[in-house]
Amino acid sequence: MDLNKKNLSCDLLIAGGGIGGLVAAVEAKENNPDLDVLIVEKQFTGYGGKANKGGGVLQYFQLDKITPMDFLKFHVNEIGGYLGDQELMLKYVEMNHELLQKMDAWGIVMPRNEEGNYFMMPTGPFTCMISVDLDLCLKMRRVAEKLGVRIIDKVTVTDFVVKDNTICGAFAYSILEEDNTFYTISAKQVVIATGSQNYRVGAMWSSGRGDGIAAAYRAGVEMRNPEFGNFSQLIRVGSHGEVVFGENFMYNAKNEHVTENFTDHRQTDICSLAIREWYVNMVNGTGPIHLDYGPDKRDVKAVNQDWQRPYGQRFRECRQEFTNQFDNDLEVVPLLIGEQSCIKVDHDMATSVKGLYAIGDASYCGSCAPGAVPAPPARNRGSGILNAVFAGVLCGRAAAAAETVAPAEITEAETDACIEKTYAPLYKEEGHNAKEVIELIQQAMCPSEYSVYMKADRMDEAEKLVKQAKELAADLKAVDLHDLLACHEAEAMVLSAEMHFFASRARKESRGWFLREDYPEMDNENWLKWIILKNVDGEMTLSTEDVPIEKYPIQLPKKD
Amino acid sequence: MIYTNHKIEFDPDKCVGCQLCYKACFVDVIRWNYEAKKPIFKYVEDCEHCFYCQSVCKRDAIKVLPDPSSERLHQHFERYE
Repeated sequence: MDLNKKNLSCDLLIAGGGIGGLVAAVEAKENNPDLDVLIVEKQFTGYGGKANKGGGVLQYFQLDKITPMDFLKFHVNEIGGYLGDQELMLKYVEMNHELLQKMDAWGIVMPRNEEGNYFMMPTGPFTCMISVDLDLCLKMRRVAEKLGVRIIDKVTVTDFVVKDNTICGAFAYSILEEDNTFYTISAKQVVIATGSQNYRVGAMWSSGRGDGIAAAYRAGVEMRNPEFGNFSQLIRVGSHGEVVFGENFMYNAKNEHVTENFTDHRQTDICSLAIREWYVNMVNGTGPIHLDYGPDKRDVKAVNQDWQRPYGQRFRECRQEFTNQFDNDLEVVPLLIGEQSCIKVDHDMATSVKGLYAIGDASYCGSCAPGAVPAPPARNRGSGILNAVFAGVLCGRAAAAAETVAPAEITEAETDACIEKTYAPLYKEEGHNAKEVIELIQQAMCPSEYSVYMKADRMDEAEKLVKQAKELAADLKAVDLHDLLACHEAEAMVLSAEMHFFASRARKESRGWFLREDYPEMDNENWLKWIILKNVDGEMTLSTEDVPIEKYPIQLPKKD
Repeated sequence: MIYTNHKIEFDPDKCVGCQLCYKACFVDVIRWNYEAKKPIFKYVEDCEHCFYCQSVCKRDAIKVLPDPSSERLHQHFERYE
């Protein structure tokens, strides 16, 4: 199988053609039409990613009834545990209607009723969700192509090239045998839009395999908040279908309502205390847990039909036929979603490397916007897509306005070295299968008592599995390009799990979503800090940054 | 191992070769046979039962038959008993 080598160059390279990458490309082009923008997507731009596989909902703020500060106050106190960048969260809320207007102008369908208002569903005391049809990425692809954005599909970005802490491009390879091309891409600026780390567990989230995060880490980019990559969601045991609005209705085998007093309002997403309740009941012999909505049952199906989304409706009907077949009762279990999104970025979505940005689910927690809670949808239903749009807009504007110079040259020798490293698993006679590694990482990350309700001795058990996985990952064999991609994704999963446990051990407290049985209290004296991880000469180093709470509008609660 | 046991039923007579199923698969299960102008369900063991290929097919040529029992949740049920 002969390898083709191709050199490309562009002003702005975007790794990942999901909703975030597409928005960044379009926003950059609209602000600077002369910019040569290239999207490189591992699967198909317009179809790949997660935005088009979910509920098709967008977070909506009724800004005529609440102020952005109302929501911020609620979020900081009830969800984010004072660990958020309040300025960035405030900006996200303030831009809510502007972002929706942009999406409207790009042709994205957000259904409205006869009066011309969005169909709205409350999802908390200060927030609603509205619907969006699931062809949103296809619509964005058409807009991008019309503006002259170049797109290459079925090609995965494997490494970023950084010299003097400045980006100069990336390496990428085709996953199709009939193409079999290795790309050296010279770029003045690069955007990482490759999603979060989801450990290949939940169906909708299966494309988030952390490869962009791993490539950034290898290139020396700083990571922030990696311990908030352990989101879990209740699923039905029969179909493995996700449960929405389930947290307040959890009953144990004795028919005791175990989450009776959780919140006084229905929330779409679960909090980690409910996961803890599931675990505690299971170990105490009062499991399994089932849901009983009682007379207050909300018919989510009916709401979906009201929402008039022709593209999304067909997708939901295919799933519904299947879930009806398998869900005989409402027994539920937590499923790890992960959502590690730890690339550290500033308010322009710029990373610690000059000219390199990270957006959407690659950098949600790294941006610090949410505080002590994993990436969307973690407790902010509909914020996944909108955060990606928000980050794409900020990044696209910044990239369009940036003063750039020609990037440093990527030498032939550097290309050859990356080719040798990238394809090495294909040329091995013997070695381990990527799936052996992924299996071990899933065993370490998925059990709720390992990654959500943590304790030092249980993390010892999990880290032994990560160590085993790392040993196997050092000797991987691939049989074809699909398998080679799995090898690289497996390596990324090992790194993500290592970062999760390294940072989780250090954070000796409980805060927001983050729960430790051995340190159950929030410790503002010692841990009002963000954890930073960085690759220094192959070693994972840990440092901390103080949260500048004194400059934010919402302060810590006063001590008694 | 993380292989799943989902099945994909495909009716080649209904297929018009539009490639949408191939493009829709976000985990590279489906490849394309350019000579036959039909999909190849090459890595079915990696199917995540997302139903996207089935839902984009305008000719109803594809039906995903999931087997949820082949998807492991990795919770320690055996320890809790």
